[in-house]
Amino acid sequence: MSENGDRIAPGKGLLDGLAVTFKTMTRRSTTQQYPDVEPDLPPRSRGVIALLEENCTVCMLCARECPDWCIYIDSHKEEVVVPGAARARQRNVLDKFDIDFSLCMYCGICIEVCPFDALHWTPEFEYAETDVLSLLHDKDRLGDWMRTVPPPPAHDVLGEPSKEEATAARKAAGPGAATAAKTARPAGVRATPPTSDPGSPSAPPASAKEPER
Amino acid sequence: MTVADVLLLALGAIAVGSGALVVTSTHLVRSGFYLVVSLGAIAGLYLVLGAELVAWVQVLVYVGAVVVLLLFAVMLTRAPIGPSADLDRPALPAAVIGAGVGLGLTALFVDAFRWTRFPSPDPGTAERLGEQIFGAWVLPFEVLSILLLSALVGAIVLSRPDIGARKAEDA
Amino acid sequence: MPLWLDLLIRVAAVMAGFLVLPLVIGQAEHKVMAHMQGRVGPMYAGAFHGWAQLIADGVKFVQKEDITPRDADRTVFRLAPIVALFPYLVVILTIPLGPGLVAQSLDIGLFLVLAVLGIGVVAVLMSAWASANKYSLLGGVRGAAQLLAYELPLVLAAASVAMAAGTLSLPGIVEAWRPWWLIWQAPAAFIFFIAGLAEIRRPPFDMPIADSELVFGYMTEYTGLRFAFFLLAEYVGIVVIAALTTVLFLGGWHGPFEEQLGWLWTLLKIFALSFVIIWFRVSYPRLREDQLQRLCWLILVPLALAQLVLTAAVKSLL
Repeated sequence: MSENGDRIAPGKGLLDGLAVTFKTMTRRSTTQQYPDVEPDLPPRSRGVIALLEENCTVCMLCARECPDWCIYIDSHKEEVVVPGAARARQRNVLDKFDIDFSLCMYCGICIEVCPFDALHWTPEFEYAETDVLSLLHDKDRLGDWMRTVPPPPAHDVLGEPSKEEATAARKAAGPGAATAAKTARPAGVRATPPTSDPGSPSAPPASAKEPER
Repeated sequence: MTVADVLLLALGAIAVGSGALVVTSTHLVRSGFYLVVSLGAIAGLYLVLGAELVAWVQVLVYVGAVVVLLLFAVMLTRAPIGPSADLDRPALPAAVIGAGVGLGLTALFVDAFRWTRFPSPDPGTAERLGEQIFGAWVLPFEVLSILLLSALVGAIVLSRPDIGARKAEDA
Repeated sequence: MPLWLDLLIRVAAVMAGFLVLPLVIGQAEHKVMAHMQGRVGPMYAGAFHGWAQLIADGVKFVQKEDITPRDADRTVFRLAPIVALFPYLVVILTIPLGPGLVAQSLDIGLFLVLAVLGIGVVAVLMSAWASANKYSLLGGVRGAAQLLAYELPLVLAAASVAMAAGTLSLPGIVEAWRPWWLIWQAPAAFIFFIAGLAEIRRPPFDMPIADSELVFGYMTEYTGLRFAFFLLAEYVGIVVIAALTTVLFLGGWHGPFEEQLGWLWTLLKIFALSFVIIWFRVSYPRLREDQLQRLCWLILVPLALAQLVLTAAVKSLL
């Protein structure tokens, strides 16, 4: 308040204190009337974890990385006969996928490590229970949360393209055009689905190109 | 008997009763509270007798300050809850002397005044009291204030070792 | 009007004021404090902006268990809340609302008010000691030291205005009051208000309660209705100090249309001062115990004595 160690007028601090509180009183309060009015949460809020069962390959990465060990997975193998293939393929089938939210600390590591986008954050947070055991959400309940997963945000038009896109564009344009494809890309490219790239012989796998759902 | 008489008797009984409790109670702090009651009853007596100002001064100074100071000092040092065994020794000689002096004084008063009737004085309003103190009794009043002032200065000298010590070095 | 009816009306009016005004102040404190801290305060009780919050609190207090600690001095412990509340009731009797509008006009009302306010400290000591709790005792001892110290500037400031008016009667002081006294008696008003805040142990002078160091001071062991009595005493205390400052220094019922609207002016001034008391609570941190005594003995008492000299000088010049 005082510059260069100047003595301020006596009582100025007292008056300043009064002024601050009075000014705050005249302003609107920042209180959110939560149970009456739903909070306006950002779409990426960490409320609860949702499971998209079809995407899960039972790789167990999430269960292993979980710092709290609060993810419980059981599975069995199934033979899938693929027409045209030499022999039947083996596939993991999920039997149990439980997350114990009484242990979960919402670090989001499981979601980060999931290679197939089977786990998602949703901003839903009203799942308090009167019994702590009820906080163990099974795979049906986790799958049910998928309804509340918001659509992913649009890509940043000024951002760098993903590695897969850049490689595809370079291959399409031929040698020597890599830098041009990287920098002088039109803004609309990102908005269109990359699968619409016509005639690209080495199109990247579909799973990596599927941010929309 | 008028209402005032009844009130006088009742308040007197309260004052004497709680006064007796002050000295007989084995509860250290409680006797302080009994003193509050006793002094409050005396203020009530003043009020009944028409000396309003004196009554409220009694409350302000004695109930609000002196007894509180006393209780404050007791609580700073030792304030047990419940009876203290070492407080109340049976002291028959003291009781006899006290009661004897009290009874003797009462007898003396009763004998001196007998049934002489005095008109009750004018109500002790603030105005009258002021005129009396600053008119007829101004000299004793001023002497008293000088006495109190010197006592105050003395208390400061006693309680501040830095003042006392310097004088001791000089001497 | 027969005597008993007159008496009944007066007693009823005082009781109504005694019960309603503190609730209004308490509710105002809830809301003002909340908004000063960027909150909204109680919103649910009574549907409209939580107007019935304190009534709900009262119902809650009644339902709570009345606990007396095992080692406590039971009689003193139970008596203390009533002793705390009673003096304020007597004080409210003597406060004039408008011209001739006073429950009990007394020749020396000012003295009665100051004397009776002093009794409050006995209640603090009673509750503090009888609780058999070291925090309570510490709070009580702090309270006693604070109340004893601040009684001096309080009485001196009141004496200044009594000298100026030449009377000890509260309605008399209001009648003698002139607007220019606002300047003449300004230091006394300041001292009286500050010392009054300390007398009712409101922040920033709430060391006897000091919830962050002494749990709740002398009220630590109290529960239910007895605790509610202490809280009520605190809010009646705000009313009393605001009313006394109004009557002594702000000209009570003086204002436009004072013959008809005098009571309104008094109430308005009381509420404005109560707002300031709440405002202080939100704005200032608690003083330290030594700062408290320093403020009293080194600033307020000398200032009050200087004001007495000034009052006497101006009075003898006129």
